[in-house]
Amino acid sequence: MRYVLRRLVFFVVTLFAAMTTNFFLPRLMPGNPALAMMARFHGRLNGQALVAMEVAFGVNTKQGLISQYFSYLGNSFTGHFGTSLTFFPTAVSQVVFTALPWTIGLVGVTTVIAFILGTLIGMIGAWRRGGAFDSVMPPVFIILSAFPYFWIGMVSILVFGITLGWLPIGSDYSYGLRETLSWSFAGNVLEHAVLPGFTIVITSIGGWILTMRNNMVTTLSEDYIRLARAKGLSPSRIILDYAGRNAILPNLTGFGMSLGFVVSGAILVEYVFSYPGVGYTLLQAVLGEDYPLMQTLFLFITIAVLVVVLIVDAVTVVLDPRTRSVS
Amino acid sequence: MSKRNWMMAILASAGLLGATTTSSVASATANNAGSAAVGGTLTISNAEYLWTCGFNPFNPSDTGLSMGVIYEPLMFVDTLNNAKVTPWLATSATWSDGNKVLTFAVRNGVKWTDGQSLTAADVAFTFNMLKKYPALDLNTIWSVLSSVVQSGNNVVMSFKTAAVPYFYYIADQVGIVPEHVWASVKNPVAFKDANPVGTGPYAVSNCTAQNVAYTRNSHYWQPGLPKVQTIEYPAFTSNPPANTLLSTGGAQWGGQFIPNLKGEYLSKSPNNHFWFPPVVNVSIFINQTVPLLNNLAVRKAMAFAIDRARVALIGEYGYEAAANQAGIVTPTFQNWLDTSELGSAGYSYNPKTAISILEKAGFKRGSGGVFASPQGKRLSFTIINQSAYTDWVAALQVVSQELSQVGINLTVENLSGTDYGAKLYDGNFQLAYGYEAGGPSPYYEFRQWLYSPASAPIGRPAATNWERYSDKATDELIGSYATSTNSVTQHQILNKLENVLLQDVPLIPVTEQADWDEYSTAQFTGWPSASDPYAQPYAWVTPDWEVVLLRLRLK
Repeated sequence: MRYVLRRLVFFVVTLFAAMTTNFFLPRLMPGNPALAMMARFHGRLNGQALVAMEVAFGVNTKQGLISQYFSYLGNSFTGHFGTSLTFFPTAVSQVVFTALPWTIGLVGVTTVIAFILGTLIGMIGAWRRGGAFDSVMPPVFIILSAFPYFWIGMVSILVFGITLGWLPIGSDYSYGLRETLSWSFAGNVLEHAVLPGFTIVITSIGGWILTMRNNMVTTLSEDYIRLARAKGLSPSRIILDYAGRNAILPNLTGFGMSLGFVVSGAILVEYVFSYPGVGYTLLQAVLGEDYPLMQTLFLFITIAVLVVVLIVDAVTVVLDPRTRSVS
Repeated sequence: MSKRNWMMAILASAGLLGATTTSSVASATANNAGSAAVGGTLTISNAEYLWTCGFNPFNPSDTGLSMGVIYEPLMFVDTLNNAKVTPWLATSATWSDGNKVLTFAVRNGVKWTDGQSLTAADVAFTFNMLKKYPALDLNTIWSVLSSVVQSGNNVVMSFKTAAVPYFYYIADQVGIVPEHVWASVKNPVAFKDANPVGTGPYAVSNCTAQNVAYTRNSHYWQPGLPKVQTIEYPAFTSNPPANTLLSTGGAQWGGQFIPNLKGEYLSKSPNNHFWFPPVVNVSIFINQTVPLLNNLAVRKAMAFAIDRARVALIGEYGYEAAANQAGIVTPTFQNWLDTSELGSAGYSYNPKTAISILEKAGFKRGSGGVFASPQGKRLSFTIINQSAYTDWVAALQVVSQELSQVGINLTVENLSGTDYGAKLYDGNFQLAYGYEAGGPSPYYEFRQWLYSPASAPIGRPAATNWERYSDKATDELIGSYATSTNSVTQHQILNKLENVLLQDVPLIPVTEQADWDEYSTAQFTGWPSASDPYAQPYAWVTPDWEVVLLRLRLK
């Protein structure tokens, strides 16, 4: 119990620190939202428009930084996130909730796929250590994971999108379509998710393989595995029920963390594929010095990660008796 | 001469006299071939942000989607064709009382898309709303206006001083909105306007963050128009997909810079064309308050040392022309150029002249071949630039090499857009590469460049005149332009302003910024071109894109 309480206190302190950073860090950037808007519409706007936009965005309000900070804290707890400046006058919450499904759909699903595939490959590799499978799959994916996301993305656009013309090169679905609940629309969305999803999977799978394989190798030398073999259990049962179940524990923690980070999106992939998710929105918020949007996105990401960490901690307590005995 | 309020036709911005004051009964756009079929879908490909699905014409993010096709101006001013004025929602505009009163007659028979009629009250309401909410007044027209009142079918605008050039901002740049909708809007600044009610040729039929679809307004006041049934306007968040859609024929109208235009676009189909008419100068702004840069010899030497043609060729792939020191964008404003003055000033590329100017002024070559003043101060400067504009980054590399050849050291500082803007507006720079917004005659650029009352002290943001140029005689010249609608007078004034640029070198125009315009004639004809420059061809220019869409015909 004390363990869980301690984690809760840690959660609150981290959240508070993160929120404070969220507030002050963006304000250290040079310029202000009105200037960012001028930069975005450079040449289309008369210089005088700067004054108009500063009025619209409330840039030169006399409110001091400290009182702004406290009203920000208050608003965050009551769920008032304000108006986005990049997407003015849309409410921040609306911007976030438009982007969130795309990111959860794309990054969430691919994270799960990469985790399952990576764990399986790691397990099999460790079981058949030194075999053909083990000497090809892990090294290939580990090398691939060293490539930057966006580079793989651009190459796959070039090959599958432009040269071969098999798949669409970007965006969430074909621009002329209307959002309907139909198979053809769903198919179109899936088709557009293939390339960005593929990019994320093949670049993130290597990490899972590596940790899983290493854990597995250690576990396989344990006495109870030898006993299982001696008993004549089938290899698949040993891999899954005996070795895999124990080896996966550290990987589960990592998986929980990366599920938390799903909310932050995959900025580079979303940018390269013009995918309208959270990562892309975050990029726009930073470029536009859109304080309300940035704060809210960072807050969401922080909370998502902290909540997942809290859950993982709790789960670990349940799964692993050793963590309980600390107190 | 008995009447003091003599009436005068205007072609205000360019000041061309002899335009029509009579209401044009016929359709405002020419070439109105009533027989051509209606139909087709036009797709515009433009790399931009995601749409907010707001259509407030006074919100800079949404202007490009609403001003023109939904909300229309009082009159259309063609920047590319001697500021030719076409009556639009107003049938006539008349200056009186020494160019201090402007009267618009509002067109009869125009209907909003909800069926109500457009009235002069709507027009007066729109302008008075800009007064009440300065955040909407993007061109600060209320800095010169004193009142706007409805008088029957007319709208009478009174000015604090003669303000002829403001005709462009008032007549061409303000979209008229319906009073019966906007009067009940609590805060028009934060008004999204998701279901716009306008007078324009198109209405929004569907909007998502990634695409806006417009359908033809079948009750549009210009009979038989528009001819294109549907407009699709997808939002691309980066250039490559937008370019691909264009080159594969998925989009018919593009407005972005394509580096390898020939290979990536023109070669794909014989129907693919481009037209890049220049509209403003991209210049080196020289901060007049910086020591050494306030020395005329240094500024002149730099103007001689830059090979503008080479900068245009390397930095802009030759798609943007070299500028001239007189500051007149050619060929767009060719008839404003004082060629004899420009010729006698002789600012062609000549590094030898540059060096001799510096030597005559007492500068001596020091370490590394860099000139230094008699007090030992080296001619070593920093220029600020936007890192996102890769063409400018390349252009400045060329400039930097060329200046080093005449013993001037130039460091290029490529900054983020906001950082650049903050430094530029506050005057915290030595040299800056950039441009000011133009208008339908060169006057607008010159006013932005040189008018000192519109500037600000160093450390405070200046709306325009970032180089902090200050000269009484020049201010008076610019002021006097605003009082006259006479073309001859206006040309004389502008010649004198060109002379300021030639003699005083407050800035160095380097290349000419163009409108990007790629278009396909596979399905539609009637695009603007050099031989028929009826509107700016860049899809982002409002309200010009409406004029283009009204001219298009199915093939």
